[in-house]
Amino acid sequence: MSSWVTVCRRLYRRVARTFPSEFRAVCGDGLEQLGEDVLPLVWQQQGTTGMIRLFADLAMRLPYEYLSTWISTAKELTMTDDVFEGTWTAKSEASQWDVRDNPKPQQACMRFEATQTGYLVVAYGIVDGKAVAERPQAISTDGRRRPLLDLNGRPIPGVPPGAVAFGSRSDSQTLEIGAEVDGKVLSAGTYKVSADGKTLTATNEGVGLKGPYKVVWVFERVVPDPYVPQG
Amino acid sequence: MLKKNPDAFLPLKSNWFHILLCLVEGEQHGWGIMQNVLARSDGKVRLWPATLYGSLKRLIEAGLIVESGDRPAPEFDDARRRYYKLTTLGRRVLDLESQRLKDLVRLLDARRRQEART
Repeated sequence: MSSWVTVCRRLYRRVARTFPSEFRAVCGDGLEQLGEDVLPLVWQQQGTTGMIRLFADLAMRLPYEYLSTWISTAKELTMTDDVFEGTWTAKSEASQWDVRDNPKPQQACMRFEATQTGYLVVAYGIVDGKAVAERPQAISTDGRRRPLLDLNGRPIPGVPPGAVAFGSRSDSQTLEIGAEVDGKVLSAGTYKVSADGKTLTATNEGVGLKGPYKVVWVFERVVPDPYVPQG
Repeated sequence: MLKKNPDAFLPLKSNWFHILLCLVEGEQHGWGIMQNVLARSDGKVRLWPATLYGSLKRLIEAGLIVESGDRPAPEFDDARRRYYKLTTLGRRVLDLESQRLKDLVRLLDARRRQEART
């Protein structure tokens, strides 16, 4: 292989590594590998013209990906006063509970904490007179499919292998979440905060271990937030 | 935002259509998709690497494809590569786009026949 191609491969790899971390998080090092693999072939088949096209593709895509990342970041930044963050308590009488063999909780609370990629949601309450807490759930709002694992990256009992979870923020007041395996929907739901920011409606339906379920919970914001030091 | 309604993706971008079409036959990695598109189009469509990976990223975000956790048999596998596969939504979108293109061709053929008669 000519030293010219070797230099070009190195250059390609270096430029490919400057793509935004959001891009590399999804594509890994696929771009630099593919570029390096295809470069000798392009040189062989198309010569200098091909090399110009190959690098032009990279050079045009780079600012586009940064712009796309900046726009996403700007959108998130303009969503001031996150409407989800805080603690919410369920209005049991306004909620529907259709989960086979699982009794409706007498009390239920949710807490949303903002993270870099979305939210950490903790749900707890009282069922049959006993305090219970659900496994904390990370909700990402970037639309990406991620393996459905617990916070330590371990499989969750009852969740089929290969299951992925995803979430998106369709507007500042609404989160859409879901989980699927091999294209089959396991669960789908929304969290919607009212315009005045005082009520949160959580809907979720899907197929659990004991069959189909559907839950519609209406929550009220707890003011002041018991988890935030006051004064 | 996730567009869960398949119709919302139509008309499908040309690059997306070519990529989805490659994945109908099964899981594929970036190199495979690039070669497949090139061969399928008789060398007319070449997805350059940055364009290809930009499209793959957006297809993943849109929920039309996912990265596959399954690996081929070790003798056929290249450990460096990531494999992608169609989701049910992706397959549905591809079906709808194919139907849309068929309808357009049918319309054009009908018009040509009508012109030929007159």
